[in-house]
Parts: sequence; structure tokens; C-alpha cells
Amino acid sequence: MIQKIFGALVVLGFATLPFWMNDPYILGLLILAGIFIIAAISLNLLLGYTGQLSLGHVAFFGIGAYTSALLSSGFDVDLGFGTTLVVAPKPVWLSFLAGIVMAALFGWLVGRLAFRVRGAYFVILTVSFAQVMRLIALNWVDLTEGPMAINNIPAFTLWLPGLGVTTLTSKAQNYWLILAVAVISFVLVAHIVHSRVGRALIALRENEGLARSVGIPVTHYLVLSTIVAAAIAGASGGLYTHYVRIVDPDVFMFIYTVTMIIMVVTGGKGTLSGPVIGGLIFGLMPEVLRDYARPEVQWIIYGVAIVLIIMFVPNGIVPALEKIWLRISAFGARFLPERLRPRLS
Amino acid sequence: MTRRLLASLLTTAAFAGALAATGAQAQETIKIGMTQPLTGAVAASGNFVANGAKIAVDVVNAKGGVLGKKLELVLEDNKSNPKEAVAAVEKLILRDKVPLLIGAWSSTYTLAIMPKLIEYKVPLIVETSSSGKITTAGNPWVFRISPTSEMEAKAFMAKYDSFQPAIKKIDFLSVNNDWGRGSADEFSKYLKTKGVQVGSIQYMAPDATDLSAQLTALKQSGGDTLFLTTGVEQMTLALKQASELKLPHRIITTGGSFPDQLIHHPGPKEMESYHLLFFSPWFPDKAKYPEIAKVYVDEWNKRKLDFPGLTEGFRGYDAVLTAVEAIKTAGKAEPEALREALWKTKLPAVNGDIAFIKEGPAGQESGQNEPNVYVVLLNQGKVTMPLP
Amino acid sequence: MDQFLQHLVNGVMLGSTYALLGIGLTLIFGIMRIVNFTHGEFYALGAYMTYMMVSLLGLNFFAAILLATVIGILIGALFEFVILRRLKTTDIDSVMIVMIGLWIAMQNTEQLIWGGVAKLIPSPFSQQPMVFGPVSISPLKIFVLAAAVLLLIVFHVLINHTRLGLAMRSTFQDRDVAALMGVNVGTIYTATFALGSGLAAVAGALLGPVFLVSPTMGDLASLKAFAIVILGGLGSTVGATIGGFAIALVEEFGAGYISADYRDAFSFLVIVAVLILKPQGLFTMKERVG
Repeated sequence: MIQKIFGALVVLGFATLPFWMNDPYILGLLILAGIFIIAAISLNLLLGYTGQLSLGHVAFFGIGAYTSALLSSGFDVDLGFGTTLVVAPKPVWLSFLAGIVMAALFGWLVGRLAFRVRGAYFVILTVSFAQVMRLIALNWVDLTEGPMAINNIPAFTLWLPGLGVTTLTSKAQNYWLILAVAVISFVLVAHIVHSRVGRALIALRENEGLARSVGIPVTHYLVLSTIVAAAIAGASGGLYTHYVRIVDPDVFMFIYTVTMIIMVVTGGKGTLSGPVIGGLIFGLMPEVLRDYARPEVQWIIYGVAIVLIIMFVPNGIVPALEKIWLRISAFGARFLPERLRPRLS
Repeated sequence: MTRRLLASLLTTAAFAGALAATGAQAQETIKIGMTQPLTGAVAASGNFVANGAKIAVDVVNAKGGVLGKKLELVLEDNKSNPKEAVAAVEKLILRDKVPLLIGAWSSTYTLAIMPKLIEYKVPLIVETSSSGKITTAGNPWVFRISPTSEMEAKAFMAKYDSFQPAIKKIDFLSVNNDWGRGSADEFSKYLKTKGVQVGSIQYMAPDATDLSAQLTALKQSGGDTLFLTTGVEQMTLALKQASELKLPHRIITTGGSFPDQLIHHPGPKEMESYHLLFFSPWFPDKAKYPEIAKVYVDEWNKRKLDFPGLTEGFRGYDAVLTAVEAIKTAGKAEPEALREALWKTKLPAVNGDIAFIKEGPAGQESGQNEPNVYVVLLNQGKVTMPLP
Repeated sequence: MDQFLQHLVNGVMLGSTYALLGIGLTLIFGIMRIVNFTHGEFYALGAYMTYMMVSLLGLNFFAAILLATVIGILIGALFEFVILRRLKTTDIDSVMIVMIGLWIAMQNTEQLIWGGVAKLIPSPFSQQPMVFGPVSISPLKIFVLAAAVLLLIVFHVLINHTRLGLAMRSTFQDRDVAALMGVNVGTIYTATFALGSGLAAVAGALLGPVFLVSPTMGDLASLKAFAIVILGGLGSTVGATIGGFAIALVEEFGAGYISADYRDAFSFLVIVAVLILKPQGLFTMKERVG
């Protein structure tokens, strides 16, 4: 209960941020970081709770991005045999949802194929999937414009009460949209994790053989979590598309997967707030470093920071901070009468 | 979870504090913002252009600056990545409050930052990107000094007749991005008007190092001339590998890059190649304004920078000169005034004359410059300019 | 037919160095279970060291390659000793993140020191290609092929007929039993990472003069090395050897006859096919090293 109140307060704090920190630069940074935090939250479901190391997560991000871009801009593609498929531009919200559905579909596909193997093989398979998607985006020029990029993508339009359908133009408006999607994703993942499904996932992460032996349909749950994770990643891809308003095969870059993984693991995989904290730190760190060192050195600091964090807090920042807090409160509790001592929850 | 969230937020707050503390200090300088890929896949070119710009700023400041103030170049790395290009530009506009931008090297990064120009109303000088979309997207804040592939092809046609033996059948080897593809399209189009046949068009991934497959296929095509469009590294690789495979074609490279390593490490006698450049540093006197070109080349050499970087660095140099001229014309360093001034801006530069003509949908035109083209011949580490 | 032979020759030469790259990774990945993203950076390091010694210090070409390999081995050992050994976690993904951090740091250090402009390493061989009928190949490439094959043979002897090789193989099969049998697992880990990285470095030192040296050259190499390891079967050095040649030939013929744009995709498509059809890889018989 107290957690929920606290969580609500945090969300409120973030929601009112545009009012007490009306700096469009910071809002812009938080928007870009937020998009990747949403993707990191989805990756955490696979990586942290299911224990599957998927290195192809950016593929779902990119699929969501391209689908939403293509549908909202309209396209025509030659399907061979003299037929051409022509699609008129669709409303942004519809394209966005389509992006989610498409990503979920591919999530199902990858899940069914990839979960025949585990460990190292699974890692490589997922990387390959993302690379192949990138190469398709690059070379199927008729559909995706290839390297020429899809540009002039419409910005978000939402139906707001009293205003009808409006285009989101200001930074603050985009910020709130990203925040809303982030909160929804967070709550969704939290819900799954705290349910029976979540417990099953954790069981299979800890010991797959044992989980199987007590009747947990392992593959079923793995595919299910991949679908959900892919859908959320597809949503973040859609958000990216309508904010940056240009999409090219670079959206499948491996460095984006790397960024998401760094956010999850340094924050604390298998914790709900890990990807958020890791995301804020590693999403904002490159911008902070801009003022302090030349470009190559900025990257070196970034890389070294990753190594140091894993060396000293191998489970991530969030669990480490929790330990510290526990020590402090345990120490302080000695001075309180019995009744008032805080309980572990 | 409560404890985690609380403690974690403190960490974030610390970061936000660090971020807020990095605010820009106000100084009596006129700032120009520039974003280039200084790290990542295309870092070499990005650094050349950035160096050219830095030199121009020093040259201008040595002559007293502009409007009585010193010029300051605020340079941000876009990490060869469109998302970072957006972040870099927002920092330049919102934090550093630059009244004018130069960037972003690759067409994709430039297209990514264009919506920001409309949002914040800041003009952009495009120094390298060649995609047609940049000036036809209906963005009145865009002013491009670099040529499109179409212009390059058109300018090349003036030199067509000087090639002996005549060009009859052409093949293409292009990097698989919009620039490579666009170049192949435009050159095909223009050469076909002279009755030239197009043979085989081969593409290569931007990071491909082994081009033997494409070159082997080209060997069989029967063409007499090969147009090669890609960046410096791949160009060097392609030329080396073509020589090893004894490709029979005459090779002409487009896009303005030059394989510098082949000067330090000359190829064999049979290996020769033509290069379409927008600036030829070995023959600064053949430039339209030799005095300007000489200043640029001398400063570059004084700083002991890679000599062949001059073929790309001039883009940054000319962009800064253009910006300075616009500031002088406008009389103040304000974005809207600069935008209007850019339409009236005419100046002599390293590449030649710079002036902007309207391009794109009516009422929202962007500015486009028409550049000069030079052809050089490279053989055994020596560069000559055999054609008129 | 002419094209075919040329592609074959190109593929075999490339394959010999790919094999070295693949063996290095299959050792590290197989014995230490590390998703080693720095493998490509050691490849680049080998090339940069060769460049530095030949172009900047004026050393003999062959000595430079040898020295570059030794440096690769030493730095590999250093990484294992200073960083990997001290990790309190053995989670595959946490260790992977460490390798990613090192990858970012190494690549940008290379750019910091030598700049982003690609460098050419001059070789003492003539630039005139040798022509055998429809096939032309440069003397440098013939040297690379010969050197790589020699190294492959040396390596196989090492793994199969020396005590070190025996210790490595037994650690691969069962770490705890090997420890019980008196194998110092810590030393073997250091040796494995050093040797694996050294192999990547020599592949880079050999291919550096063939192509160009740039800070991002290792990225593709890493991914291809993973493809080779999967194809050949994790931990199988014979598999990695054959896998290296196979991937190179698939790339060459695929690029030549099907589509040159998709050249680098072929390795990935091969992996996907292998993982779907025979996930253990083509050459493992119950996962062995050797």
C-alpha cells in the first residue's frame, strides 16, 4: 500500500516537472531518455525476470518504428506479379497501435523459433534476427526507402477532451505522452511480475528444469513474455518515430540494444525500478559529459563507468542502494521503541 | 520497493543537478553552432569538416572577428547517429543559444534535425549532405552550400568530352546509402543523354571491406568506365582491390572524397584513377579564388593536419565564411534576421561562389548553392590535373 | 567458371584468417562462457599495433606482426587478471556488459590515439598481382594464407598434444572435475583469454595490410566470429576452423552470385538456419574442445 502511494507521488513529481523545471532542453533529454527507458523496461521482463539474454531487442523497437512510420505516411510497394499495394496515410494513433501489434507478432515469431535453444545460442540467434531486420530495412528500398529514410513523418495527434484531435507540438505535451506510456508499461510489467505468471517466470529463470518438472509450461510462458516485451518495445519505437519524425535503417543499430541492456543491468535486472534508474543515469550521462571532455574521452568514460559499476555493484545500483538503506534503517531502528520500528517489506 | 525508489531518485537528482550546473556562461562572442560525427563510423570525415570550420573561425578572428566581436564555434558530436544529432542540436539551440547552425554531415542526420529548425526557428547551413529531400522538404530554414548528386552530375557533363578514349559504357559501384544510390541514378541519367550505355550497378554496405565479389562481377560487365561513389576508406579499398583483380575499367570517383593513403603508399604503375572533387588542394591556383584557397591550405598545413583532409575540410571552412557573411549582412546575430540575410548572401569561397537559389515547394523554399567541380588524376602517388 | 575460381580463391584466403578469429572466440566463449564483445577490438588492436610498428617505428613487417600478436596476448592476460577475475558475478549478461564497456573504451582509445582516418599498412610484397589463368591474387594475400594455415596447424598441435591444451580441454568439459584433477582453473582462464585474444590479434595483424585499419574495423569481425562459433559448435576448434572457411565461402559466393549488398547478411542467415535445424552446431559431438 505504502509502495503504491510512494509510486504515485513519484509519478506526480515527474508529471509536474514541466511546471517547476520549464527548461525545454531538459524536457527534450528526458523525452529521448524516456523512450529508451520504456524499451529497457520491456527488455527487463525478458532479461531480468525470465533470465533470457536477448540481444536483438532493438529489432522490435525498429519494427514498431517502421510500421508506424509507413502507415502514418502512406506507402506503395510493388508486390511482384504486376500488383502494387497502395496504402493511404492513416491517423497517427492507429499507426502507433499497428506498430505495437506488428512488433508483438514478430515477438511471437521469434519466441517460437528462438526458444528451441538456450544460453549462448539464444543470444546469437537474437542478434542475427536484429541484423537481418536491419538489412531488410536497408535493401527493400521499394517499401522502406532504404537508406533514403522515411521523413516528414507526422507528429502525434491525440484526442484530448475539449480540444478534439490536436497535434502535440510542445515539448511538454510530448513529455507527458512519453511519461504516460512509461507509467503504463511499468504498471503492466509490475502486474505481470506480481502475478502467477510472474512467479512462474522467476521459477523458470532460477531453475528451468525444476520449473518444468512441476508442470510449468516453460515455452508457453517464454513466448508470452517475449510477446509482451516486444509489444512494449514496439510502442517505444512508435514514440521515437513520431517524435524524431524520421526513420532510417539506423534505427536497428546494435548500439541501441547495447544501450537498453546497459540501462537494465546497471540499474538492476529483475527489479522493477532498475531500468528506470539505469535509464536515467545512462540516458543522461552522455549529455552531462558533453561539457567535460572531448568526444572520444566522453565515450571512454562511459565505457569505464559501465565496467566499474558491474565490478563494484554486480547486481545493479537499485539493489545496492536498497542494501544501504536497510542498514541505515536497521541502525536507526535501535533508537525507536518496538512498536514504531519499520518492518521489512 | 519504496526504499529503492527513494534512494534511486536521489541518484537521479544528483545527475539532474550536474546537468543544470553545466549551463553556458554568457560571453561577449558571437556563437555559431556546429554538429558533426566526431566519433563512430564516419568520424574521419566529420573531423575533417570540423577542422576546416575551426580554421575559418581562427582566420576570421585574426582579422578582428565579426561586428566587432569574436566568433566562437560551439561544436557538438552527433556520434554518427540520428538520435544523437537531435540531442546535439537541442543542446546547441537551447543551452548555447546559437543563432545559426552548421551540420550535420550525413543526409540522415540532417533530415533528423530539420524539424527542430522549424520548432525553434534557427537557420541551418548544410555543408555536406547531398540528399534531394533536404531542400525539397519545404523547410525555409535550410540553406545548403554542398551540391546534390544531380548538380555534380550536371557539372561533370561539362568535362565529358575531355575524356579520351570516350566514355561509352559505364558501370557503377556505390555505397548502399542514399548518397551512393542517388549518385548512380543522377550520373546514369545525365550520361544517357549523350548516348552512353549503362552496364552493371553494384552496391556495397558502408562498412564492407571486402569488395571482391562486386569487383569480380564488374570485371565481366564489358564497361569501359566505372563510377565509384563512397567515402574515403572504402574508396581506397575499392581502388586497391580493383587493381589486384586487374579490372579493365577507367575509374572515376564521385562525391568529393580522395583516397589519401594512396599518396603515402603509392600504387603500381597500372593503377590510376580520376577523382571528382569540389576542391583540389594540390592546385590551389586553379581554384576560382586562389587567394582564399591559399589561406585555407596554408593554415591547414600549419596545424599539421592530414593533407588530403583538405578535400573535405573546405566544407566546414566555406560554411563558416557563409555564416560570417550573413551575420555582416544582417547586422546582428539573430536567427530570423540571419535567415533573411542568407537569401541575400553572396561571397567568394574556397569552392567558388556561394549564393542561394530557391528550391522546393513554393512559399517554403530552401536555399541551394551551385558549386564548382574539379577533376584530378592519381597515379603512383602523384596527383595531376590533366583535363581543362 | 572464371568467376567461380576467383571467388573460391578469395574465400579460402579470407577463411583462413576467419578460422583464427573463430577459434579464439570459441575458446573464450566455450571455456569461460563469456560473450566476448572485445574480440573484435583485439582484432583491431592487432592491426593497429602492426601499423604503429611498421609505419611509425619502422620495424620489419614480419617482426611487427609477431610483436602485435604478443601484445594482444599480454593485454588479454592483463584484462583477465585485472578485471575479469575480480568480478563478483558470473552472470553471463553482467560479464557481457563488462565486455561491452571495455569494447567502447578500447575503440574510442584507438580513435583518440590514432584518429578516425583509416590507415594503410605497407607490406614488403610487390603490389603486382600474380595471375594464374582467370584468377589473380596479390603476393600479400598468399603470404596471409600461408601464415594463417601455419598458425592453425600450430594451434591444433597446442590444443591436442600439449599439457596446456589438455588442461584447457578438461576445464571445458567440466570445470570442477578438472580442478579436482589438479588443474589450476584460474591460470587456465587467464591463458584461455590471452590465447583467444592473441588469435584475434594475429588475425587483425594479418588482415590489416590487406584492408585498412580503422577504429570501427572490429565491429564486423566480432559479429562474424560469433557466427563462426555457432556454425562450428561452441567449444569445437575443429568446428571453428571449418566454420571459418565455410562462412568466408558462403559470403564470397553469396555476394558474387546472389546479392553483393547482402554480403554480411549471409553469415547471419546461416546462423539462423543452423540454430533452427541443428542448434549444437555442425561439428560438435557432445560439445568438446579439440
